[in-house]
Amino acid sequence: MDKETVRTICYLSRLSLDEDKAKNIEGDLDVILSMIDELQEIDTSNIEPMFSPLEQTAMVHNDEIFSDNKKEAYLSQAPDADTDFFKVPKVVE
Amino acid sequence: MQHKTISELHEMLASKDITPVELVEESLNLAKKYEFLNCFNFINEEKALTQAKNATFDPNNPLSCIPVAHKDLFCTENIQTTCSSKILEGFKPPYSATVVENLENAGCIAIAKTNMDEFAMGSSNETSYFGKVHNPWLKDHVPGGSSGGAAASVASGVVPFATGTDTGGSIRQPAALCNLTGLKPTYGRISRWGMIAFASSLDQAGPLAHNAKDCAIALDAMTGHDQKDTTSLAMEATKTVDSIDDFSNTKTLGVVKEFSGQLSTEMENAFQESIKTYQNLGYKIKEISLPNIKYSVPTYYVIAPAECSSNLSRFDGVRFGHRSEEVKNLEELYIKSRSEGFGNEVKRRILIGTYVLSAGYYDAYYKKAQQVRRLITEDFKNAFQECDLILTPTSPGTTFAFDSKGSKDPTELYLEDLFTIAANLAGIPAISIPQTFVNNLPTGHQLIAPHLNEELILQTAHHFQQDTDWHLKSPSMEDFS
Repeated sequence: MDKETVRTICYLSRLSLDEDKAKNIEGDLDVILSMIDELQEIDTSNIEPMFSPLEQTAMVHNDEIFSDNKKEAYLSQAPDADTDFFKVPKVVE
Repeated sequence: MQHKTISELHEMLASKDITPVELVEESLNLAKKYEFLNCFNFINEEKALTQAKNATFDPNNPLSCIPVAHKDLFCTENIQTTCSSKILEGFKPPYSATVVENLENAGCIAIAKTNMDEFAMGSSNETSYFGKVHNPWLKDHVPGGSSGGAAASVASGVVPFATGTDTGGSIRQPAALCNLTGLKPTYGRISRWGMIAFASSLDQAGPLAHNAKDCAIALDAMTGHDQKDTTSLAMEATKTVDSIDDFSNTKTLGVVKEFSGQLSTEMENAFQESIKTYQNLGYKIKEISLPNIKYSVPTYYVIAPAECSSNLSRFDGVRFGHRSEEVKNLEELYIKSRSEGFGNEVKRRILIGTYVLSAGYYDAYYKKAQQVRRLITEDFKNAFQECDLILTPTSPGTTFAFDSKGSKDPTELYLEDLFTIAANLAGIPAISIPQTFVNNLPTGHQLIAPHLNEELILQTAHHFQQDTDWHLKSPSMEDFS
């Protein structure tokens, strides 16, 4: 995997790597990718992908209104919040 | 109470040999005595003691007043839940996982949160932000992972059982390395509500305990439909313990042709001993084939990272967890918080997952892996036409020294899960149980069943344990002081 691809994947993942780590990870990713490339040798034409091991459809529940407002509890876990909102750096000038 | 089973502790409580408070106090004292193992991220002393003081022992309930430790990825209301990651350090969830609630309703007293590989990504418990866990059988050696703290806490006798989760072998492999019985139930059997997700289509909770009967007791309390989890099966809780002594049907155990020659001579001999035991008990052994099984590790290392990269996008420094301090804008807040908060293995898997899901690669990797997953699942269905259960080793070796695997080549450690991963891909139940020791260290074998056949797995494992005593052995821990 070349440097440019690693940089793109890092950005898509919202991760940054320092120089040393980037080098190690490039090597690691190559090893992992060559392992998963083994899959290419299998003929999977006409095979339906199996995205879930569940053999039955998920249950649906009744559309009932209920109130379970834990706003304060959730906001109390935020690194920065006021009484109603999570706070982040300004995004609109 | 040290090293006693759930059933034995239940008897002691029933005959008033010990009170609930004495039992919980002893469990907490042992947790402190064996602090050097680093099993626990957090000990829940105050709440556990209060619960024990207020508890009324119920003789009809096998888990009444029994101490338990929860893997630190089960949310526990107002008690820190970290996934052994810096990004969740100090996080106190506003609610508890269904597993935690179910066991509390069954009378269990949770004494601690156990150490684990960061976000359950690992097979040695070495990726934890809170440090490595020692295998109670051998200092400076791994307990396995990712439920390594859970395994070490039961193997050292601090608690009679612990909760774990298994995405590719994370209950079964540590059970094998620590001489425990560990069950991964059918996907959907146990609610995933409040269980912090790694790979949603593979993750499943289960118990680690001393024997199959204790696993049955724990499973029956952990299962049942949960409206809060859309992948929870619409079925009543299991009642496996009621029929655990039923050995009336002679079963055929399938031994996988493709796994032969994968083990060292010593490990192979230990496995063959187990086969002989089953034969002596009247089981038939039949060679079966799983033609695509060799692709289970690469298939897993596409699907699991893909699902993890999506699941872990929620950790962004905004609503909970670690936030980087010096950031100029929102984008930098995301990037710096995540880069500071996640460890190397987690980053590697997020990057692989992002890559296999990205435009141009999705069909080649992600879709391909899901197609191979179906082939592997079909192989199991075909094999179960010829046998009732499949018998395999649990892991390729015994415990190994800290830092000895995976530092140069990460895939070296991935092969620890060679025998266990396929059951997660197919969503079928599997158990690891202790067998012949190799070089005085525990090893295990695995029984895999078709969907929803936990009862048969537990009966067979229990049958094996009536005839063997490996599961009764406990570590001396003399070398640690």
